[in-house]
Amino acid sequence: MSKQDTARGAIEALMAGYEKLGYVSDEQIATALFLAQKLEKPLLVEGPPGVGKTELAKATAEYLGLNMIRLQCYEGLDEGKALYEWQYGKQLLYTQVLKEKLGDVMQGAKTLDESMTRLGGFEDVFFSEQFLQTRPLLEALRSDDGVVLLIDEIDKSDDEFEAFLLEILSDYQISIPELGTVKAKKPPLVFLTSNNTREIGDALKRRCLHLYIPFPDAVRENTILQARVPELNDGLRANVVDFVQKLREMDLKKPPAVSETIDWARTVVLLNMDVLDSDFVKNTLNVLLKFKSDIEAAESDLPRLMRESLHPKESGTAAE
Amino acid sequence: MIADFVRILRAADIRVSPAETLDAAEIFETIGFDDRSILKYALGQTLAKTEMEKLAFDEAFESYFRLPEETPPSLPFENQEENQHQDGEDAPDKSAEQNSGEGRPQQGTQESAQQGAQEAGAASDNANQTLTEMLENQDTAALQAAMQQAATQAGLADARLFTQQGMFSRRIMETMGLADLEARIRQINEGGETEEAERLRAGRAQLFEAVQDFVERQIAMRTKNAGRLLREDALSRIRLSNLDKSDMKIMRELIRKLAKRLASRHSRRRKKAQRGMLDIRRTMRANVAYDGKLFNLAWRRVKVERPKLIVLCDVSGSVAAVSRFFLMFLYSLDEVMPKTRSFVFSNRAGEITDLLQGDDLETAMEAALRQYGGGSTDYGMSIMDLAEATLDSVDKKTTVMVLGDARSNYGDPGHLALKEFYERAGRVIFLNPEPETVWDTGDSEMKKLGAYCTHKQTCNSVKHVERVLDDLLRLSG
Repeated sequence: MSKQDTARGAIEALMAGYEKLGYVSDEQIATALFLAQKLEKPLLVEGPPGVGKTELAKATAEYLGLNMIRLQCYEGLDEGKALYEWQYGKQLLYTQVLKEKLGDVMQGAKTLDESMTRLGGFEDVFFSEQFLQTRPLLEALRSDDGVVLLIDEIDKSDDEFEAFLLEILSDYQISIPELGTVKAKKPPLVFLTSNNTREIGDALKRRCLHLYIPFPDAVRENTILQARVPELNDGLRANVVDFVQKLREMDLKKPPAVSETIDWARTVVLLNMDVLDSDFVKNTLNVLLKFKSDIEAAESDLPRLMRESLHPKESGTAAE
Repeated sequence: MIADFVRILRAADIRVSPAETLDAAEIFETIGFDDRSILKYALGQTLAKTEMEKLAFDEAFESYFRLPEETPPSLPFENQEENQHQDGEDAPDKSAEQNSGEGRPQQGTQESAQQGAQEAGAASDNANQTLTEMLENQDTAALQAAMQQAATQAGLADARLFTQQGMFSRRIMETMGLADLEARIRQINEGGETEEAERLRAGRAQLFEAVQDFVERQIAMRTKNAGRLLREDALSRIRLSNLDKSDMKIMRELIRKLAKRLASRHSRRRKKAQRGMLDIRRTMRANVAYDGKLFNLAWRRVKVERPKLIVLCDVSGSVAAVSRFFLMFLYSLDEVMPKTRSFVFSNRAGEITDLLQGDDLETAMEAALRQYGGGSTDYGMSIMDLAEATLDSVDKKTTVMVLGDARSNYGDPGHLALKEFYERAGRVIFLNPEPETVWDTGDSEMKKLGAYCTHKQTCNSVKHVERVLDDLLRLSG
């Protein structure tokens, strides 16, 4: 029983801790974080853009007091950019220097064998730490006190890269042919995010915990706004949240995400609005919606949206 | 327990690997069984890895982890009220009882004492209590426990099909001691106590109903999707021309699924830089400025072209069904094959590319078939039409696909027109829905047409279509 108590306790503590940092989580998110730390497994976070997937990793780093290393994925990303690279230029310079010093080095060498041995001594230097350019993944593995590693938008990378990640994600180690296997000093806490532009491979999914963050419900969105835009008063905040929630119910190309709600709330504060009137909403719709067709659809439907979302709140605003 | 749950998840179309099962076990360790909501989230995050799977998982979790606490489907006996009352009281330790059967005897004694049953001695040991006695004593809880136990013995967890329902019900009844009960009923009947026998018979009927209900729910939980999966598997192999109207819906879903799989397999292969292969020419050129010292290296790149595809589909008669699915499949692959032009023909060929790019593929197909189908097949004319429309744009990167049975009603087979395509295009593929053995029989002109094709193969099921398109994408990938 105590096990369970600690699990529940730890999860609630996590939620409280994150909230202090301005990240409003819920039980599901906190459970995922708890498990990721407990089982030392990477966490694959999926969800529509702008629901705070990247933010989650940042908040985690802050919460745990760890550094965050971020690897932004894109098409064509390969291990040279993600893991390590030999500094070819430096190596080339080194050869040039060596060439000039060759006479000195070889001085006194009587046989071919002897000169080969002497040269051999230099060869190893070529593929040593000195010429190794570390990239995010290797850095994460080599960090002494653990880091939060964020592999952002993994769905944008190629299949090959995904496959290449497998070793890191399951064993927290990586093989560099010239140097041997590098094992993590302390397993990093790995977050992978995906917008689902393509299906992530099963092998990768299997190694991760999977967290799906949907758009928040009204209550949670309200709390998020409270944490992120504290300047906004209660009545207006409720209005903003209700309006956005209604907007999401519409059939839009890209429904407004949490980040857009926050932007909009900031707009309201910035323009010093006391009530949301339709002129204001019309003029600032472009903060919430990013497609022309979406904005047009919302505009034509504005009276209904305003009526449905703002009216119940009229009394609340009056009570202010 | 975990294994059983995983089995149910698999039945619900969620792919769970052994490694994930181990993870789930670890989660049971860390979280325990009591905090249901956290357990649900935690297991969901480990076992279900897409949105669809999450939905299925939630459902499976709810039905599986509800069962132990649920009050058993009460057997409708006269003193049902009393029994239910007892059930309520005993609820907290019920699950323990059902699992071990150890907790039972005590309660059994108590109950039988209350009901003034004669055989208190036998009832004190539940394991030895016969079905007849249980029925006579109206001992619902004991019956329930016996049923659970019998279900385990009968291997209900392995049930896969709905049709097994009757068999399992029977098996469970038998394990519970049906034979004894029937013997007893006969015995009483012969003894002339008809009322007593009647009562037992009614009890037996009710018990049978309860068992059936229990089995049905269990099987439903375990086999929810098995039937559909089986059907899908069969459908992907069936000859498209033999397809039943009622299967159309599953078929469309299946095609969508396969197309998605194919698309994701090939979608990211367009540009790849091959590391480790030095592109000497580019390197030299890039380093002229450094006095020929190879300072910046250039690696060889392989550029993957998206295939340019021209499809000509026969929409007459028996080939129409295959064409239809072929085009449906093709257009579900829009994402990876955007440069597709399609033509359909029976006597003259017409382009339907724009038609198919609308939202509703289904109606578009209907319209296309109405417009161009129905005539008698004329390969010569049709291929000529195709040449007129597309030959100018055919180059080495183009693949031309012809789908048809090559039966041209003894008219011009159009092989000379096809030859022009063969000379210009990268590939000419002929897909024939007929099996290879009947090619070149009757009016089939496969030999003449086949001479100007790079590939020819049989294609009459969704599996074939998938393979053809997969090869096509791979060749160009």
